[in-house]
Amino acid sequence: MDTDFYIPMRLDEVESPLQTEIQKTLGIDIETCMECGKCSGGCSNAHIFDFTPRKVIQLIRLGAEETLLTMDALWVCLSCQLCVDRCPSGVDIPRIMDYLREKAHREGYRPSRPAVALFYELMCSCVERRGRVSEAPLMLRFNILTRQYLKDLTLGIRMFLKGKLPLTAGKVKKMDEVRVLFASWKRRSVKRG
Amino acid sequence: MNEAMTGKEHTALVIGGGPAGIEAALKIARGGYRAVLVEKENEPGGIPLKLFSSFPRWENPSDRIGWMVNDLKKNKQIEISLETTVESAAGTDNGFNVTLKNTATGDARTLDVQAVVLATGFRLMDLSAYGEYGHRIYPGVLNSLEFEERLREWSRGLGKAPQAVALIQCVGSRDRSKGYPYCSKICCMYSAKQAGVVKDLFPEAKVYVFYIDCRAAGKGYEEFLREVIEKKHVRYVRGRPAKVLPEGGRLLVRAEDTLIGIPVEFAADVVVLAAAVVPHPETAALAKMFGASIDEYGFIDHDPRSHAKCADRVFFAGGCGFAVDTESALSQGAAAAAEVITLFNDNG
Repeated sequence: MDTDFYIPMRLDEVESPLQTEIQKTLGIDIETCMECGKCSGGCSNAHIFDFTPRKVIQLIRLGAEETLLTMDALWVCLSCQLCVDRCPSGVDIPRIMDYLREKAHREGYRPSRPAVALFYELMCSCVERRGRVSEAPLMLRFNILTRQYLKDLTLGIRMFLKGKLPLTAGKVKKMDEVRVLFASWKRRSVKRG
Repeated sequence: MNEAMTGKEHTALVIGGGPAGIEAALKIARGGYRAVLVEKENEPGGIPLKLFSSFPRWENPSDRIGWMVNDLKKNKQIEISLETTVESAAGTDNGFNVTLKNTATGDARTLDVQAVVLATGFRLMDLSAYGEYGHRIYPGVLNSLEFEERLREWSRGLGKAPQAVALIQCVGSRDRSKGYPYCSKICCMYSAKQAGVVKDLFPEAKVYVFYIDCRAAGKGYEEFLREVIEKKHVRYVRGRPAKVLPEGGRLLVRAEDTLIGIPVEFAADVVVLAAAVVPHPETAALAKMFGASIDEYGFIDHDPRSHAKCADRVFFAGGCGFAVDTESALSQGAAAAAEVITLFNDNG
């Protein structure tokens, strides 16, 4: 592709409706970001992010919505809140990530890595059946379906011996409410096609 | 006024009628001594008279200088000598015998002074070494002082409203290859001020500041900078532009956004170059005349025992020592005056 090399971004043509949207719907003003990178420095998953939290904020400023909705970081962010906890300007990045994930899903974007998409599906089905995640079955099912039979074996055994990995997890008390939640989500998904 | 002060006639020569020189002359006069203020231009005031708005409080710099100049003119202890330069100086028992020359009439006169305050100020470097930015080649490329003039015109409704303005910081400063490895200190703040003023005058205009570090060390400075970014919506891009190109009657600034690592371009109507602060060339000659030493850039070096002293009976203040904002120039002017008054009080 000859279009891939050196196309400078034209800053004078940059518009970011997404920035306005985030300001209006979430009340988050990303202009307060000083680009210090403390969020990315503390991020528990930055090493596997294609765009670190600081860059996510910058991409919003640059109006790079397509990049943001298709980026891998959207699906590997743990929402652990470390970034916002440490941000000197209090920019609520996890809330922005949530918003972007919802938007990406709404607009039909799926995680680019099949394994990540699979993990989301398995986790949701687990929650749908029990109202909570039971780690051991989820782990097993994921590893079998991705053909990584021995992955996590040593860690799994150690966790199991310490009683950190119960083989079954009970259901939550109000399963009917969980069912209602999932039913409404599915109805809305169907409507959107 | 005590007897020691009125007992003898003492005169200090203040060279330079900017904020530092004016403050020094005023304070020397209030301390009870005579001051002769020499200014090469035809009015006192210096750089602040050329500025539009100020940091960190968006005040009109001409106001404050105007009040000071009024005080100066009213003070009978001060003689203002405009369009005047110092031709030569000879040491005497207790000071200097100086020759002043009126540049308009060519008349010369001599004067005995017991102390000298150098306050010759600074100027912006000549930008012809930066061919890549095209100063004096493209009419839209201005240095910061020229841009202040443009801001004044815009504020009076003159000239064409800009759609986009780019301000480039560290042009010269922090550039070893051009011989200015130092930080000029004031550019971060005045660039923020200029960018903010453009947004106030033309809210629709896109205003981008290209910086490599934002140095806002001063009371209220960081808050001022954040206000410019967050309230006035000036955009800051980290990266030193490499080139300014003409494009369809406008100017294209080419740089890298080093925080995200992508090449960027910005089409502007006006490109402002925050040129390095350098001393006036005559500062070196004056320093030599009065026995003071200068550093490798031509700024005056201070005596190890006093920040305001540079030789026996010779003091200095303001931009001739290094880049200063107006507040610092005033403080240094007052400090030099304190030295002069102390000297006069001590040894009569």
